[in-house]
Amino acid sequence: MPEKVTVSLADDAVARIDEVVAALEHGGLRVEQVLRAIGVITGSVDTGRVKALGDVAGVVAVEPERTVRLPPPESDVQ
Amino acid sequence: MVDDAADGMTGRYLLVLDDDFLDDTDRARVAVQEVCGGERPATTREGAPAPGRPRLFPELGVAVAELSPQQLAAARADRRLLGVEPERVRHAIGLSEEYLRGFRDAAQFLHAQLTAGAVAAAQFGDTEELTWGLQATGVAESPETGAGIAVAVLDTGLDLEHPDFAGRDVETRSFVAGQTVQDAQGHGTHVAGTACGPLAPSSGRRYGVAHEARLMVGKVLGDDGTGTDADILAGMSWAISSGAQIISMSLGADVRAVSTAYETAGRRALATGTLVIAAAGNNARRSAGNPGFVGVPANSPSIMAVGAVDPSLAVADFSAASSTVDGGQVDIAAPGVDVHSSWPRPQVTRTISGTSMATPHVAGIAALWAQRTGARGQQLWAQLVQAAQRLPLPASDVGSGLVRAPGA
Repeated sequence: MPEKVTVSLADDAVARIDEVVAALEHGGLRVEQVLRAIGVITGSVDTGRVKALGDVAGVVAVEPERTVRLPPPESDVQ
Repeated sequence: MVDDAADGMTGRYLLVLDDDFLDDTDRARVAVQEVCGGERPATTREGAPAPGRPRLFPELGVAVAELSPQQLAAARADRRLLGVEPERVRHAIGLSEEYLRGFRDAAQFLHAQLTAGAVAAAQFGDTEELTWGLQATGVAESPETGAGIAVAVLDTGLDLEHPDFAGRDVETRSFVAGQTVQDAQGHGTHVAGTACGPLAPSSGRRYGVAHEARLMVGKVLGDDGTGTDADILAGMSWAISSGAQIISMSLGADVRAVSTAYETAGRRALATGTLVIAAAGNNARRSAGNPGFVGVPANSPSIMAVGAVDPSLAVADFSAASSTVDGGQVDIAAPGVDVHSSWPRPQVTRTISGTSMATPHVAGIAALWAQRTGARGQQLWAQLVQAAQRLPLPASDVGSGLVRAPGA
């Protein structure tokens, strides 16, 4: 099952973000966005390969993607 | 006494009694009587006194009396008096007794309030000219406009045809697949209105803070009000790259654990001079004993978390309290109950509540500070919390207190 993940890079890896992207792709990540200004990469990966992405050099965290949800527009508290 | 009057004096003197006479009218009366040569002073409770008779204002510890030169010299040496000064004509006309009576009445009123154990609570309300939030935060008195500062609002977009944003240069980007930045939900138009709405809206009172800031609108929540981390983080990355000094995020998830991705984004934003401000969350039900907790992304140490207060400056029932995770504290508070702002046409305006509504107050006021002082990032954060008005509430609920505009 593919799942969406958010990958955060270490400070010293931001400058070589393209290398890290390549290593993540090699590890099974289908990259969707490379957010250079904040050093974060988003994409999807098969559940069984999530853990190994955390071991890629320069990666500090691999988190499952969350969804935020506003209350319905007619709600008094937003 | 003719000479005195020519000098602008009445010939009478103000006698200021020592503080320990304040609570003892009888002793004060005796003291004044002795100073004035045996004439019993009238107190203000006895109605209009005979001309020439000394008057005592026991609540103030002040008497007004005519004194002979000998009495004056004795009064100046009298240790029961803190001071003896000539009453001036311009005070005597219209001010002197009348003024002191008014002052006494006000002092009595305040004293009664205090001794009743109830200091009058703040109570703001919308006026014809201003929302209560702009009044409470001092925005109306601030000379700053946000000019030269870019504020990015990441939300459900903006009603681009709204009359209050007509002709405004708004930079927009949608991060939601298949949807334009046009706001079909309403939330984004409301929060953008609070942060950057106009000085003179098309109808009704002013509700916007930084009316001359450059408004950037990133649509990261869809028309159904939902959004993913990927789209929100993409919006943050865009705002930073595009030079926003402030990012306003009225969104979050009820998750206690800090997200590394948002913390990383917030930290790198600060490093490049961008301050990220986010809603603490609405997961409290204080009236039911549940204080809630600050959620993602506001719980990131590098992201400023905003709680909500109501028009009496009490914490809102829904406003989340600080949690124990590192960064899980509420950093500052802002008006977040009954907030009037813009709403997509045809409604045009609407009044709603939430930490979502408090957040853009802080974002707009941050733009005013950034304009005034040139502070950015961490320095701007420090200025906001330093200038906040302290509230008699736990810091775990309101952080440093109520956000205040510069010059207010």
